[in-house]
Amino acid sequence: MLWRKLMRDVLENKAAYLACLVVISIGLMVYTSLNLTADNLWQAKENFYREYGFPDGFATVQGISDAEIRRLTALPGVARMEGRIVQDVRVIFPGREESAFLRLVTVGLGQETQISKVKHLAGLPLDPHRPGVWVDPQFLAANELEIGGEIPVIIGGRKVFLEIRGQAQSPEYVYPMRTAQDLFPDPRSFGIAYLPLTVMRSLAGESVQFNQLIFQLEPAFSYQDVESLLEPRLERFGLVALYPAKDQVSNFILNQELSSTEATANVMPLLFLAVGAVILYILLKRIIEQQRGQIGTLRSFGYGSREIQAHYLSYPLIIGLAGGLLGSLSGLWLSFPMTAMYQAFFHLPELRGRVTFDYVLFALLLSVGFALLAGYFGSRQAMRLSPAEAMRPPAPLSGRHIQLERWNWFWHSLTVQGKMATRNLFRHRQRSLFTFVGIMFCFSMIAVTGYFNNIISVMIFEQMTKVQTHDIKINFAAPLAAESARRELLNLPGIKRVEVMLEAPATLKHGWRERDTVIIGLGRDAELFNLFDQDGRRVLPPEGGLILSSQLAEALEAKEGTIITLESALLRGDTVSLPVHSIIPQYMGINAYMDKDALNRVLRQGELATSALLVAEEEALPLITEKYREASQVATLENRQQLLDNFNEMMATYGFTVWILAVFAFITGFAVIYSFSIVALAERKRELASLRVLGMTTGEVSQILTFEQWLLALAAILAGIPFTMYLIGLMAQAMGSDLFTLPLIFEPNSFIIAFVGTVCFILLAQWTLLRQIRRFSLVEALKERD
Amino acid sequence: MEVILTGRKLCKWYQLGEVRVQALRDVDIEIFQGELVVVLGPSGSGKSTLLNMLGGMDKVSSGELFYRQQPLHGMNEKGLTRYRREAVGFIFQFYNLMPNLTAWENVHLSTEIAAKPLSAKEVLIDVGLGERLEHFPAQLSGGEQQRVAVARAVAKNPEFLLCDEPTGALDFETGIQVLKLLRKFSREHKRTVVLITHNAGIADMADRVFYMRDGRLDRTRNNENPLAPEEVSW
Repeated sequence: MLWRKLMRDVLENKAAYLACLVVISIGLMVYTSLNLTADNLWQAKENFYREYGFPDGFATVQGISDAEIRRLTALPGVARMEGRIVQDVRVIFPGREESAFLRLVTVGLGQETQISKVKHLAGLPLDPHRPGVWVDPQFLAANELEIGGEIPVIIGGRKVFLEIRGQAQSPEYVYPMRTAQDLFPDPRSFGIAYLPLTVMRSLAGESVQFNQLIFQLEPAFSYQDVESLLEPRLERFGLVALYPAKDQVSNFILNQELSSTEATANVMPLLFLAVGAVILYILLKRIIEQQRGQIGTLRSFGYGSREIQAHYLSYPLIIGLAGGLLGSLSGLWLSFPMTAMYQAFFHLPELRGRVTFDYVLFALLLSVGFALLAGYFGSRQAMRLSPAEAMRPPAPLSGRHIQLERWNWFWHSLTVQGKMATRNLFRHRQRSLFTFVGIMFCFSMIAVTGYFNNIISVMIFEQMTKVQTHDIKINFAAPLAAESARRELLNLPGIKRVEVMLEAPATLKHGWRERDTVIIGLGRDAELFNLFDQDGRRVLPPEGGLILSSQLAEALEAKEGTIITLESALLRGDTVSLPVHSIIPQYMGINAYMDKDALNRVLRQGELATSALLVAEEEALPLITEKYREASQVATLENRQQLLDNFNEMMATYGFTVWILAVFAFITGFAVIYSFSIVALAERKRELASLRVLGMTTGEVSQILTFEQWLLALAAILAGIPFTMYLIGLMAQAMGSDLFTLPLIFEPNSFIIAFVGTVCFILLAQWTLLRQIRRFSLVEALKERD
Repeated sequence: MEVILTGRKLCKWYQLGEVRVQALRDVDIEIFQGELVVVLGPSGSGKSTLLNMLGGMDKVSSGELFYRQQPLHGMNEKGLTRYRREAVGFIFQFYNLMPNLTAWENVHLSTEIAAKPLSAKEVLIDVGLGERLEHFPAQLSGGEQQRVAVARAVAKNPEFLLCDEPTGALDFETGIQVLKLLRKFSREHKRTVVLITHNAGIADMADRVFYMRDGRLDRTRNNENPLAPEEVSW
């Protein structure tokens, strides 16, 4: 029978419980969907890596022979080692301006390799005597290519048509990015093609040696053990980079995505559940106060206090169960489109949604746990009453003067309603505090979403319009004589400015800390690549020192004046020590900068350049692209506009997720205000009805409730600004990586959006409240004994 | 006749801030099986406090209180709950029905926890509400609501009924009807009914009348020839 009472009680307050239910559901939906998605991703990665293998270490060299590799395999700790040729070639799509690249990777024909295999998805096997390749399916799809078709590429300055024999994927290119400096993969402009060594040699020349080594470690050895043996031996083969599996770009990003998804999956829901629990707590406390007489009656005819507490615990229990079921099942459903979204970024063959009920069960336990906790604390106090006490109405809350009244100017400026509202704030301290925290939380969530939406554009805008102001960047296939390259480019029609740069891969060391990075040598008259200090002033690399990006400086624990030791394959075993001249904030990349001439002197290889930045007339751009696309001295050609377009495209998907979060925050804010208002209204029905009888309009009466909320909201919004900054600081720390830093720039924009959002959900909640006030009958309200 | 409730030197006081309010002072009382007792007294005389003590709703501050041979003073909450469940039926001035349960559901609610309850439906038919089983309290008149409350108390089949101003909120006619039900329960089932009121007229239907004043039991009167409920008037 108590069960029926419960169901009817819940139905009577359905709106408030529904609000609470929605908040709990959102939390669990996030929990289930993100965890499931992360699990799917993890499972797909594990399966793919296990089945096809992933090397423990990688080395990039200028060239090494088979015999040398066999010798290196004998080193202690090396279980297996294989060499391959990896070469990026330009793809010439007829009638397309933007450049596209294909990374050719040699594979063993019979897949006899033991370290890292390629999964053949479709099509014919590779033929050692025909220029055919397997291509990753994303590149094919993005460029509308099919098996049996051809891809025109430039190899060694020659145009060659590669036959598409099939589709394949490798665990090493789950997240294929051409360089670590790219922000995201773009299958339209970059893909991977796998081909037999014989075919590679027939295309690129028989003398081409292996330039990438992959190796597997003996079980008892660590990467560091092998690295120290391998590094000196590889130097004479022109070692460019030596790194463990965890630093491999695709693997690194995949792992980072996994851990950040998992972190979000476990933290975000807790916030929502906490809000839901607080609403439940307040609702339950209220209902128990209201049913005090009923509790007394039940006790009088022999219900024990435990039975009654169990009855009141079943309110949060059903909300917890319903919210848990609704949230986790919708999360299960949501995990499918989310997994599908990941399929677009991470090329894992078995990445697909799965139906498992582990998280549904966890989510249920979690929500029931939270709900019962809220219920326990909400009902605890009332259960301590003796039955006779419960039969009596509660002692009225005492009216009291509050501290705020001492501020005469403030107090006297209030209407009587204002005074009532202000005193009420302090009368229900706990509820006021929860409302305050609730509004602050929602305000900050909206502001954080706004910040993220903003900041990425800020980062890109900063990078594209202030740091790198060129139209085209040409990367040379090999270092060229700086001056002649510059002059040749300058002679092209329509070119306004040419600046050559020297980019040297190097290891920077400070004490035991070290970091692989690229030192960018800039000319003293550089205008197309600009560096700015903390205060936004332009800085130029000094003659005898380094400029470090703040990320790099942090990783090396370097300050201005710190002496950094520099190692580079280009130095042929020598090391050079240089002082840090200054440290600059940089959002993307972890680079070091030097004066170009100084860098050339350090490297002692003459006046070299590895790339050129160009500014040209708009009409000249296609011409330049056309001319250099097929030149053998040009490795790649980057069009700025193209990069920007890609970026904006990605932002569209990303922005969507961000806005979903903002909507969640909005709903949560509404739920908090609405359910608390309902409680306040029920509690003060009689008080408000009396005022109506005195002749106040519904508007005037509702002012008492709304004034209270606005006062709290104002305080909460003010407190929400530093709270947002704190949250963003935390997130920036957690999310910042080698690839980018989240700048702590606070545009008023996101706060304005959050302010408007907050005001909107408060108004919406108040509007629903006002409708209730209009509805209630004065006579009933006055008669009610509670 | 068998004594079912015995109180010796019952005291109850409440601490309100720094003031100690003495609600009951040294009350000695004996209540017998099957009698109808009316406790009379003005507001604040301690009637309700006494009723709460007898019903195990509150603990005595000092003194001894026995239900048959069981001491109620010093009994823990669990014991008191069992006592209320098995022995006592309460009826209140303002009915105290669960507003969102129907008449039948309200009665059923109390029979659910009783050891040997009567049929909720039959008792409701007995109090003349056979046609209103599915009505919610708000759809019933005050008299009907109080009859549901009587049915709720009676259906548990308790040893005795404690009634706190059962007619206080009712008009004369309906009040008489409720009193008739109480009388009927007392006579038919040989059960004790303790009824507190400040309405002296009702005292005429009692077997014994207790007069309370300032928390003390002022005097007791035996009624040799109690009137039938329909004969009393106020």
